[in-house]
Amino acid sequence: MTRILLIALCMQASLVVADCTATHSAPHFNTVYSQAWGLDLRNTRYQEHSVLTASNVDRLQLKWVYGLNTTTPRSYPLVTQDTIFIGDAAHGVVALDRETGCERWTYPHDGYISSAILHAKIASRDILIFNDRVRGVYAIDAKTGEFIWHAQLEEEPLPWYSATPLIHNNRVYVPLASQEVGLAINPLYGCCTTSGGIAAFDLATGQQLWHFRTIREPAVATGAHWFFVQEYGPSGAPVWGSPSFDPAHHLLYFGTGQNYSHPTTDTSDALFAIDGTTGEPVWKRQFTSNDAYTAACNLMALNHPNCPKPTGPDVDFGAPTMLVDTHSGQRLLIGGQKSGEVHAVNPMTGDLVWTQRIGRGGILGGVHWGLAANEKLGLLFAPISDKAVLDFPSPGDPAPGLYAMDIETGKQRWHYARLSRCKESVCAYGLSAAPIATNDIVVTGSMDGYLEILNAKDGQRLWVYDAWQDFQAVNDKPTSGGAFGSHGPMVADDLLIVTAGYGYVGAQRGGNALLVFQLRDRHE
Amino acid sequence: MSSPPILAGRLRRLCACSIDAIVVPGLTLMLVMVTGVVEDAADYATNAWILWVLLLAVVSYLIVNGFWLYRSGQTLGKKLLGIAIVSNPTSGTSPSVAPFWRLICIRALFFPVLFVVFVPTFMILPLLDQLLIFTKKRRCLHDLAAGTMVIRNNPYQEQGE
Repeated sequence: MTRILLIALCMQASLVVADCTATHSAPHFNTVYSQAWGLDLRNTRYQEHSVLTASNVDRLQLKWVYGLNTTTPRSYPLVTQDTIFIGDAAHGVVALDRETGCERWTYPHDGYISSAILHAKIASRDILIFNDRVRGVYAIDAKTGEFIWHAQLEEEPLPWYSATPLIHNNRVYVPLASQEVGLAINPLYGCCTTSGGIAAFDLATGQQLWHFRTIREPAVATGAHWFFVQEYGPSGAPVWGSPSFDPAHHLLYFGTGQNYSHPTTDTSDALFAIDGTTGEPVWKRQFTSNDAYTAACNLMALNHPNCPKPTGPDVDFGAPTMLVDTHSGQRLLIGGQKSGEVHAVNPMTGDLVWTQRIGRGGILGGVHWGLAANEKLGLLFAPISDKAVLDFPSPGDPAPGLYAMDIETGKQRWHYARLSRCKESVCAYGLSAAPIATNDIVVTGSMDGYLEILNAKDGQRLWVYDAWQDFQAVNDKPTSGGAFGSHGPMVADDLLIVTAGYGYVGAQRGGNALLVFQLRDRHE
Repeated sequence: MSSPPILAGRLRRLCACSIDAIVVPGLTLMLVMVTGVVEDAADYATNAWILWVLLLAVVSYLIVNGFWLYRSGQTLGKKLLGIAIVSNPTSGTSPSVAPFWRLICIRALFFPVLFVVFVPTFMILPLLDQLLIFTKKRRCLHDLAAGTMVIRNNPYQEQGE
């Protein structure tokens, strides 16, 4: 362990800072390394175009570091043959030269870019699509950063565009959560009226085509507290994760979160299939019923009036769903839940194929940001957070780490247990960020700041990098790493790219480093 | 030659200020609840709700303190503690009536600053304002800005009653 860390630190010392004064050329798009949040439309998080393997990852070294403008970066990079695009909160979208980290162009944007950067084409024009968490979805020119259009949902007053959209056949599918989950912490707020959903927009114009609400019935008054403050329901069932898509059947798949108020619905903590053309539901399957919860419940001691009673366990499907093909030719829809369970269902009917519990779950436990798969090995990789929080009772002992499961049966093949470098009260040490798989490896980032590469076949750790340190950034910004959270690492060709620092959830160390690693030449 | 005014004690001023700091926000909270200006999701689609809350805070301040400030230079807290705000007297003159507009448009503007003490970044503002209570004339920043001082014996009461 010590030797591995020393190697990583030596590599850090060899970092060369580029001279960024040269003229910046426009990016090229002959090769684009992802087409969706999960790299492909099925959200497998498996990178076909990478040369990183178990036999060479020991040659990874830090190539350059870019200092972001936020300590809670929540954007996932888009990589082309010569450029890395990433959203930088309150700064904008930046197009960085892949070799040097120097800016090719910047699209100024003072909001909070919350999604992966996606590439698409309008006729022959290369464009980028991304979400601002509050303001909606944006399209900009990919070569110049010029603004094209901005769209937002009109029907919901407080949407949260937390998840990455999905683009297919000239449509942009935008998942919708709601700010109400946090607003409820205000006891004078009349909780809650909004519904999660998905909206489709025209890729060329940004015009809204349809809007599917996960709760179809409108919220009605259900009572009042403190004489004057009205309470409403049903509400909630937000969509926190990017959808997966089956082009052959034109079906969109996604999971939902909990209800925000009573009465609860049969659409919360559920998996959905809807028609991508019309937005009409095809099937739904609920996994946890009567789960009502808001941020107000985090203040348990105050008996907050906006914490619904009975109070649910808050076990959303926060992670995007994934479509995988098994060795026997069966296609499955996979959903990872904060309950600590992973489910596989028939994507045409919603019938349950298997369920496996691999974590104890909880409001910050279980599966958070996503899963990865290696269909060639028949493996599914599920990161488990199992973070203890607020003295909430959690069943059993925490089991944070990465679990490799047989895609066909859900049976556990191996488990990589994470050990804390510090006390739980100081920092969490589980896995919250989504992993990524390629060839015979899987890459994870932990909440206590370790970037790790495991052998996909047996879970053996091959490489580790401690990101809890200061960096010299190419843009001269004071830069430090922190917890790995949100979208997790990206790999492309001989590169490993990741944002280090995600201070959004308590007890996680923030950081603003975009780290780019590259395989050293064998002869160096 | 009139005798110099007796300055209000620091503890009395602190108690009076504490009463105001509880009663005014309390009434504001009540008005916010009754009017429902922060109750609906649509209220948060813009920042208009902040203006509504500020407006209701001003209304609350005037409801609680307006009458006595106008009549005797006293907020509710000062009335209860037997102290009053007067114009800073020049040498040899008696304390005089502090113009109502100065109490509202200048002095009262410092009232919200009291609550900034909970925001570490801006903590210096209320500290700067309040620390001047330890000067000889016990005139805080808001007294200096409004040309006032706070005294124990109430000249308005003597004149009017």
